[in-house]
Formats: sequence, C-alpha cells, structure tokens
Amino acid sequence: MMTAIDLSSGGSTSKREMTRAKAIKRFKWITISPVVIVFLVVLMPALILQLYFSFFGWTVYLGSWWDAEFVGLELFQEVLTDERLGWAIIRSLYFSFGSTIGCFVVGFGLALLMYKPFRGHGFYYTMFIIPMLTVPIVVAYTGEMLLYQKGPINGILSTIFGRDINVIWLADANLALTTVMLMEIWNWTPFSFIIMIAGLASLPKEPQEAAQILGAGKLRVFFEIQLPLLRPVIILALILRFLEAMAEYPKIWSLFQGGPGSSTETIPVLIYLTTWNYFEISKGAAMSYVIMLLMVVIVLAAIWVLRREKSNLDHLYK
Amino acid sequence: MKLNKRNKKQIFEGFRYSTLTIWLLIVAFPLFWIIGTSFKPDAEWFAWPPVYWSDTPTLSNYANVWMGKEELAVTQYAQSMQKPWKALGNSTLVAMVSTSLSVFFGAILAYGVSRYQVLTEARMFQLLMLRMVPPIVIVAPLTLHYSTLGLLDTHLGLILIYFLTTLPYAVWMTKSFIDEIPMEIEQAAEILGASKWRTIWEVVLPLARSGLVATFLFILILTWSEYLLALLLSKTEVVTLPVELSKYEGSTEGRVYGRQAALAVGITVPLIFIGIFIRKHLARGFSFGMVRR
Repeated sequence: MMTAIDLSSGGSTSKREMTRAKAIKRFKWITISPVVIVFLVVLMPALILQLYFSFFGWTVYLGSWWDAEFVGLELFQEVLTDERLGWAIIRSLYFSFGSTIGCFVVGFGLALLMYKPFRGHGFYYTMFIIPMLTVPIVVAYTGEMLLYQKGPINGILSTIFGRDINVIWLADANLALTTVMLMEIWNWTPFSFIIMIAGLASLPKEPQEAAQILGAGKLRVFFEIQLPLLRPVIILALILRFLEAMAEYPKIWSLFQGGPGSSTETIPVLIYLTTWNYFEISKGAAMSYVIMLLMVVIVLAAIWVLRREKSNLDHLYK
Repeated sequence: MKLNKRNKKQIFEGFRYSTLTIWLLIVAFPLFWIIGTSFKPDAEWFAWPPVYWSDTPTLSNYANVWMGKEELAVTQYAQSMQKPWKALGNSTLVAMVSTSLSVFFGAILAYGVSRYQVLTEARMFQLLMLRMVPPIVIVAPLTLHYSTLGLLDTHLGLILIYFLTTLPYAVWMTKSFIDEIPMEIEQAAEILGASKWRTIWEVVLPLARSGLVATFLFILILTWSEYLLALLLSKTEVVTLPVELSKYEGSTEGRVYGRQAALAVGITVPLIFIGIFIRKHLARGFSFGMVRR
C-alpha cells in the first residue's frame, strides 16, 4: 500500500526517489509482460483471423484462404437465422443449467452434512473429491461401460426394483443429453462441494449463536443467517460451474458426436462439426464470433455480479 | 426431555451416515467398475448378467495396452495404435512445462498485483475471460495461425496455449497466498540491501511455497486432462493421453472395454494421488477471494 501511494505522489522529489519510481515502473512492466507477449503472439492473430473469416466466405474447397471473397454480413445473417444454432444454444443452456443445479444441490447437501467434524470425515471428504480428479474422457468411457443397455446399471436397477428395467441411456434421442448431464454432475459435484464446505466452515459463529440465544430454531438460523452470509460463495459456485459446463466438449463428443439424431448437438459440437466435418470454415468462424460475443456478455454479467458480491464482503469484513 | 434430545441426535447421525454412504456408493461404483474391467478377460466385458467380480482376473489388458503384447485377435487395430508410452511422454512434458510456466509467471504477476496494483480488480476479473470463454470458438483460426508459425503438432504450441488458458487460475490462486505474507519481511530484506528480484526469489516465493505447490498440482490436473485443444492442435507427433484414449473408441474392431479401462486407469491414478495430496488446498484455488478465514 505504502509504495503505491509513494509512487503517485512522488513528483518533485530527489533524484534517488526518481530512479526508485522508475525501477518500480519497470518492475511492474516485467511482471505483466510474459502474459501480454504470449497473448499478442498466440491469441491475437487467431482472433483477427476469426474476424477475417467471418467476413470473407471461405471453405477448404475454394483455393487459398487469403483470396476469399468479401461477403459482408452475409455469414452472420446466415448464422443468426440458422435454426440449428438456436437449438444448439438451447441444448447447451439446458445442459449447463441442469448440471449446474444438480452439482450445486448435491454438493451443498453433502457440505451441510459434513462441515462440522464427525467420525469418518476425512475418509468421506477424500472419496468425494475423487470424481473431479478423474479425466473427463475417462468419465465418459466409464459411463458408457456402465450404461449400455445390457450393462451393470440397468442390471442393478432391475435387481433393486425386482423387474426387468431397460433404460436406453445412450441410444435414445430423448435421453442422451440428460445421460451426459448425469455424468457431468457425477464428475463436477466435488467442485461445488469443496467451495460450499469451505464457505460453511468459514462463516462467523457469533451471529448464529446470538440468534440461537434469542430463540431461533435451526431452520430459521439456516435460512435467515447462514444462507444470506453464504450468498457470495453460492453465486461463485454457480457461475464458475455454469461457465465450465457451457464449454463441455470431451464427454459429449467422445460418446455421441452430436447424435443420436442431433439430440446432443450443443454449441461446441455444432461449431466442431461445421468447421471440421463440413469444412465450412467461414460459417464456423461467424458462428464462433456470435457465440464468443454471447459468452463475453454472459461472463461480463457474471463478473459484475461477482465484483458486487466481493465488495459487499470487503465492507463486511473491514 | 434429555432422552428426546439424544434420540434426535441419533436420528440425525443415522440420516447423515446413510446419505453420505449412498453418495459414496454412487462415487465409488464407477471407479470400482473401471478398475474391475481393466482386469477382466474379454469374454466378461459385455457379459449378461454383468460380471461384478471376475473369477479369472488377468493382467493381459495392461500388458496389451502398456507393453504392446498382443496375444488376442485384435492385432489390426492394435498396430494402428500408437504406443501409449509416447503419449505418456507427451502428456508429461506438455503438462509439466506449461504448468510450471503458468505458476511461475502467474506468481510473479500475482506479486505485482498484490504489492503494486499492476492490475486493477476489474482487470483481474477480466483476466478470467481467458479461461471462461470456451476454447472451441477460437481453435479453428488458431490451427491456421499455428500452421503458419510451424507450431502445429509441436509441444511448444500446446504449451503456449495451455499457459495462456490456465494463467487466470494461477494468478488468482497464488495471489491469495502471496497476500498473506506480511510486507514487513520484504521490507526488512530490502533494507538489508537485497534487490527486488532477490527478495522475490529468496523471501516471497519460499514463504508461499505450500501455496505454489497446491497451485501447481491443481493446474497440472487441468492441463493433464485437457482434450479439445490437444485433439485439434496435434496430428501424429504430440498426441496426449486423453486423445490417445479416445482413439480406442473410433476403432472399427468393436468395443474393447478392457483395453480402454487399462489405459484409463493408467491416466487417472496419478491425478487421484496428486489430488488427495493437495485436498486441503483445493478450496483456496476456487474461492476467488470469496471465502474469508
């Protein structure tokens, strides 16, 4: 803190302080430059190329990419009126909301049962974080081994319910996306669980004790004290999980490639298919731009919410 | 009254343990299944009723996948397969180097933010965009850009993009640890005549060591299991383990669950050990300053 103030007010001081200010300025540049350089070399040109392709129609069947014809906003028009993209967005949102809520409900529930010490805490905690450490593609294949029609999950369900149960987890167009959603929930519940258990454990005890002394029941303490205090952590858990779910690709692609039919064709799958299976590079680029803008808007909104929560917290704990 | 309270507690304990145990079964069963399958002979991969516990366990899946021993009649696809050791080497190299770079430069930047406000809080949040915008939207032009730079299908290419996409987590995570180091210690070092860099190297980074280790291992999990970028930015040379595993699915010889399982177990076990090792620190990485202690 001190140095920052020195830096801004140190204008007409001695030579020694001038060199010190200079050194600090140089130091600041050095700390940030690796990121800036890699960004400018690796990502910036790709972003520019993306923009180029969305305005110049090119597929791999047409000569060199730099000779492509300028088509203005045609591609964007095509993409924005494309029903397929609309459905892909709806599927992605369904998948992301569903898995986010699933992860949160299970993760929060487990955290509520576990945030106070009890016998076996360490064992359960360790076991519960393992799914998150499993490589997503492994989760996908394990899911497949468990869920095919004559597989162990249907076998277990049949035993439990005492009759033959044949859920077509993987080949039914109405169920496939939900099946991946269940895998996603299995895979990422630990994430919500870890955040929520840390949040619950760090809540100040005094307000809860005070409320109990004043005669509030457990439920009332939970809804009127713990839950409001937890709000920033809850919002964080929901937002991060939602954004990561929007980008989910390994499971859906390795199991379904968008099928059966087009029932698992989420945004990443559709962009992949357009670019690498139909070779419509420009259409894929325009689509990517639309999605990128959409995601940037979502992320900015998320950041706005997170910052508001964080500054509330900063006031609270000052 | 007293008895009533005790009963209540017992009911709660019963509820707690039964709920936790149900979830424990849901978590453990897939793990049990994939480990079990990796030891099953091929007749049991699809058997109905399913074989829960093999009476004739075999190591042939592991021998087959990891040592290239092929005594079963699936030779054709096995030859088209790369040896997973190469993929393991690629994965290890790419994940280790990109993670080291990310944590090192992330920590330096985090130090700059923590002590000199190099980035404002708004910029710190905007940094998250690098991670939060799905990589699929940029990977096509990136492939083209990489091929003109000669970075396609190279280790360096993957390392650079992993560095960039994991950096936000590295900065946020290390910052929460660096913030906790009292400034007086650094000032003391500077008064004794140490340069800025020497102070960072010999005072700050060692003090943040446990945090740096946790960050390193957390980011290693991300880079180790990354699939999309590895799939599209590599062709034959720099195939990583997740991509290698996905090749078994496309094989025309039918499903080879035992082999997949043997490879999958090999990929996953190191991460699980790492994760269990850093479990106490994981929460810090995700909390983005929202969890106070």
